[in-house]
Amino acid sequence: MTREAALDRVDEAILRALQLDARTKYSDIAQTQDVSVDTIIKRFRKLKRNGVIKRTTLLLDPRRLGLEIVATLAMTVEPNGIDEVVDYIQRRSGVLFATHSVGQYDVFAVAATRTMNEMNTLKEHIQGHGKVKDVKASIWVDQFLLCPQNFELEPLLEAQR
Amino acid sequence: MNELDARIIGSMVDNARLSFRKIAGDADRSTDTVINHYNQLVADGVIRCSTVAVATERIGYEGAAAFNIDVATASGGNPSAIMETLIKMPNIIVVTKTVGEHDILTLAVIHDINHYAKIGREIAAIPGVRSISSNLWPGGQEICPKYFIV
Repeated sequence: MTREAALDRVDEAILRALQLDARTKYSDIAQTQDVSVDTIIKRFRKLKRNGVIKRTTLLLDPRRLGLEIVATLAMTVEPNGIDEVVDYIQRRSGVLFATHSVGQYDVFAVAATRTMNEMNTLKEHIQGHGKVKDVKASIWVDQFLLCPQNFELEPLLEAQR
Repeated sequence: MNELDARIIGSMVDNARLSFRKIAGDADRSTDTVINHYNQLVADGVIRCSTVAVATERIGYEGAAAFNIDVATASGGNPSAIMETLIKMPNIIVVTKTVGEHDILTLAVIHDINHYAKIGREIAAIPGVRSISSNLWPGGQEICPKYFIV
């Protein structure tokens, strides 16, 4: 059984509109789809109930919140220590995200700190873990670009035809 | 950023469609004041946008991937031009220049292993890309939803 949701063009229109601006009026979406506002509200609620939409949210700029340094920390880890290292990293202050990884590195994390010194300290703490063999840090420079509209919904629509 | 700004952000991170009137009522401030503060947060770039957090596995994605890109700057490769190309590609959700091991990092959502390979080939084919390396992440987890997308 597929875990994928069944979407149609109205669902797609709702998702596309809200990806770009979560405060888009239901009436504006309804107008583009030539359906009633009630239909849009019901569909939005259904998308939430079905677990397609987790929530509407804000995307913030960490640098404007005082977290000046954003960096990727890519690690090679002893094979028997990956879970332990991910858990250790996730509990460090400044770490936004950490995950197992398949490929060049074993564990991948993104961190944000107020200063470069704090980032270095974080890197050293991680480097000091007995199961971590190496940590490569890449600092994100300039404004990073976000593109929430780039999710593909078309394959799900194709499946409905 | 003052207390009202923090309250607006705190409320709207969990529900960006929350009415300004409700936030104003909870904060014991006028609706106009809340709207003005919200608009200022947007103008200052603190709030980059409002969006919808989707369950990627429910719309056909099995995971995510990070592509580290090295740019052939010696032969005229332009990181900004490569980033502009990346940002228009389906399934690319974050693009940033980096200082360190590589020149550009991009995050993508992927349908399956074939899709992962296809995105890799497409990135490698962008003019100015010297080499790429990549890492695959399992699905079902949130990637910094406060600052990114997923």
